[in-house]
Amino acid sequence: MSAKTLDAIIEGRRSQPQQLIEVLHDVQDTWGYVPQESMITISRELGVPLIEVYRVASFYKAFSLVPRGEHVITVCMGTACHVRGAAPIAEQVAGLLGVEPGGTTSDGLFTLECVNCLGACALGPVVVLDGVYYDHMTPRKLSRLIDSVRKAGNEDTRDA
Amino acid sequence: MHELAAIEELEDLRTSLAAARDRAGTTITVCGGPGCQASGCAAVIDALRAELHREDLADTVHVRITGCHGFCEQGPIMVIEPGNIFYCHLQPSDVPEIVSSTLFDGEVIERLLYTDPASGSKLQTEAEIPFYRLQDRTLLALNRQVDSSSITDYIAVGGYSALAKTLREYGPEDVIREITRSGLRGRGGGGFPTGRKWASCRAAAGDEKYVICNADEGDPGAYMDRAILEGNPHLVLEGMLIGAWAIGARQGYIYVRNEYPLAVTHARAAVEQARECGLLGDSILGSEFCFDVDVARGGGAFVCGESTALMASLEGKVGEPRPKDVHTVEEGLWNKPTALNNVETWANVPLIVRNGAAWFSDKGTKGSKGTKIFALTGRVKNTGLVEVAMGTPLRTILFDIGGGGSDGAAIKAVQTGGPSGGCLPVDKFDLPVDFDALAEAGSMVGSGGMVVMDERTCMVDVARYFLAFLQDESCGKCVPCRVGIDRMLEIVTDITEGRGRPEQLDLLQELGETIRETALCALGKTAPNPVLSTLQYFRDEYEAHISEGRCPAGVCRALIECVIDEEACIGCGACLRACPHGAIHGERKQPHTVDLDACRRCGICLDECSQGAIVLK
Amino acid sequence: MEQYVTLTIDGATVRAPKGRSVLDVAVEYGICIPHLCHVPNLSDFGACRLCIVERVENGRSKVTTSCTLLVQDDMVIRTNTEKIRKLRLNIAELLVAEAPNSRAVQDIAVRCGVTKVRYPFRNRNCTLCGRCVRVCAEMWGARAIGFVGRGKERHVDFPFGVRPDFCKECNSCIQLCPMTITPCDGPMAAGEERLCGKCEAQLMVTEKIPDTCVLCDLGNGFNCARHA
Repeated sequence: MSAKTLDAIIEGRRSQPQQLIEVLHDVQDTWGYVPQESMITISRELGVPLIEVYRVASFYKAFSLVPRGEHVITVCMGTACHVRGAAPIAEQVAGLLGVEPGGTTSDGLFTLECVNCLGACALGPVVVLDGVYYDHMTPRKLSRLIDSVRKAGNEDTRDA
Repeated sequence: MHELAAIEELEDLRTSLAAARDRAGTTITVCGGPGCQASGCAAVIDALRAELHREDLADTVHVRITGCHGFCEQGPIMVIEPGNIFYCHLQPSDVPEIVSSTLFDGEVIERLLYTDPASGSKLQTEAEIPFYRLQDRTLLALNRQVDSSSITDYIAVGGYSALAKTLREYGPEDVIREITRSGLRGRGGGGFPTGRKWASCRAAAGDEKYVICNADEGDPGAYMDRAILEGNPHLVLEGMLIGAWAIGARQGYIYVRNEYPLAVTHARAAVEQARECGLLGDSILGSEFCFDVDVARGGGAFVCGESTALMASLEGKVGEPRPKDVHTVEEGLWNKPTALNNVETWANVPLIVRNGAAWFSDKGTKGSKGTKIFALTGRVKNTGLVEVAMGTPLRTILFDIGGGGSDGAAIKAVQTGGPSGGCLPVDKFDLPVDFDALAEAGSMVGSGGMVVMDERTCMVDVARYFLAFLQDESCGKCVPCRVGIDRMLEIVTDITEGRGRPEQLDLLQELGETIRETALCALGKTAPNPVLSTLQYFRDEYEAHISEGRCPAGVCRALIECVIDEEACIGCGACLRACPHGAIHGERKQPHTVDLDACRRCGICLDECSQGAIVLK
Repeated sequence: MEQYVTLTIDGATVRAPKGRSVLDVAVEYGICIPHLCHVPNLSDFGACRLCIVERVENGRSKVTTSCTLLVQDDMVIRTNTEKIRKLRLNIAELLVAEAPNSRAVQDIAVRCGVTKVRYPFRNRNCTLCGRCVRVCAEMWGARAIGFVGRGKERHVDFPFGVRPDFCKECNSCIQLCPMTITPCDGPMAAGEERLCGKCEAQLMVTEKIPDTCVLCDLGNGFNCARHA
């Protein structure tokens, strides 16, 4: 973890406790999770008690306290997607990957997240893979998508 | 864009922009709203720009990318002027033909036109489409006209004229009087009279006051606020400017949920543009008014839609609500007087100021004025955003505008108001969308989410779904919510898994009523609504689960079975290979069987079977 | 000069200093409103919801927690209506079903009239009353423990789950914890939980009787005297 980059993130926000969430967002965006050491630095520089930093990081779903997988699969569990069959999709991908929602596969390839609404309700069930939206998903389409990611190996899926 | 130092400069700019807009030749409007993003409008837009460039039309044909038009089921959508030609379900491969046939030859491409479900024939223009014609599209029509990243588009169609009018003619008290007379009530779910909120905030002691735009649209199934904030952020900014003027605030915040990165981007861009033009900052349009806005991101917590939790989050803390014995209009953000309103509420303000209170209050019912945008989703044909006058019957929205149930199935219920609302059965469909009427029936207008359910939806499962959602999102501070919802979920889960007992229904009712009265915040207080409303209107489904061990809709996994018809099965093994849980067994060319203990009723095998030999019943 | 206000609690006229909570004032006047998360001299945050009362205003009554409600002139408060008693009973029932291994919680259940528990018992070793967190933050300014996680995952913990060196083991948190005194008949093992329906407990008195503590997770890393 680069101390220099964390410094850049904290720059201009020292002694400003109200900036805590924005700072954590930037850390999450940069490293894909919030490392323990970063929380200690943030506590000191922003002037927020350490337990508070830990508390905020653990309260909000946006922040992960452990490193995430290379590919993040987000299944929308909103009401509209639910009545169109999101639950079987989430279950199926959890079974395929062998992880619980929020978990990462042991090979570090996939993290599964279930989110409570992405705001694309008319086209549910919706699944987002690495920032790309897929609409009208079915368990079958999703298992094929995951297979194609595995086969592509280290290829950037955004190009696929 | 240069800074506008006086109202006259704004008006001059507007005149020249409007004239340029009138003179513009061919204009292609493509919808860039959330639904169309999910169905692939980005690729269509890229293809369009590339093709126009190839054909040397990039300078003569104007492309306008707007926010959501509302007809999400038909996306990606394109409207070509002149001619008002409406193309839908577009793919990038359609673009070259559109350019050559429609733009060059003036010919309409039949297969890309919208098919009117009633007549079966193709409709050529946007204006003819029944889905649009039956609505009262005040806000959504603006979305349609404005490029979501352009302040000049917004100004050209009248943007910031309400602000100018306010600074020129209205003192703060006048604005509050106008908003109060309009009857505008909060569009985020609370339905609190906006004028009254502003008056209390203005009257509160202190010099330091805040206005907040609540864009933490967390209700699953609702994306109206996203459409407005992404599509027309300046409309919201203008509303906040007018509100801040009325209340005496110098700083405002737009709090956007983390799951809407594009809304954050568009809002931030709009704030930058407004600052550049001198519409935010010091001496706005040459007046004494100073006001600035910052955009903050949420952290992924539904509870932060609750106003005190939102304010805590803005202060950098956990989103835990606090008791509202002292109202936030007196002690809100940083314990200062704060007026917090929803995106759609702010969006209505400039239009009310521009057109007058009567223009707004002439629409709607006695207690609910103006128009409201609803997100119509679920098992309905025309899913998308629908804007109607308050007082419109549910039936009109579901059938005339929505087109009725999808796949021809009969609609059984409609869930309104998100997790805080309730499910209403068919015999309540004549009810008007009105704050008080829906609340009396056990549901609520809420933020505008409207999820349609048919006979394939199990109402007990719906109750369980909402309880699980609320349990996940509860902050956990108070006992009735943290423990009470958990226990309600335990009971309802028992029922969906065949372990229900009759006395549990009474316990659910009693526990629900307790939580309603004693929870600390609105999340907890309204959490029992989905359960209590389904108990009230769909008790027979609960009873079938309990006394017959049967799920009438065929949804609850413990009560249904996956069965392979021996006669129909040809033993091809497609289902066996497809099953992710290894639950199917059988030899080649022999009828296969399902191991019900391993089977998770996901339905993949059903999809794979070419013989239709598998059923879930 | 302290300012005083006059209000009515259960029909009795009460004079109290401005800035006090209704709960404080009621208890001082001998009106025993049940409570769990309230501790004198620590802040109130209205989490347990046991101290609810009815506030009557303009002919309508609103249910609110008396610990967070500050006294005002002409306030009308009812602490013991049938509605309040029923609501309190239900909350106490929820609490005892979660954490039956606390004499304080069992006592509250009896006081609130719980005679049967209609939920399967759980055997949690924390009621999430927040007394420990508040005393550590407010009395000592140490902030060695706090609430972490959300909703069902909410629990009390050290930063990163490790006791920091600025925790001086003052034991204030243990002193206030309702879980450190188990029911009179001793700790209940998993599967043996029940409503004990017995006598009153005194939360502030620590007893050096072995086997009376639930031996919670927090104490594990704590060097807690009771684990020894």
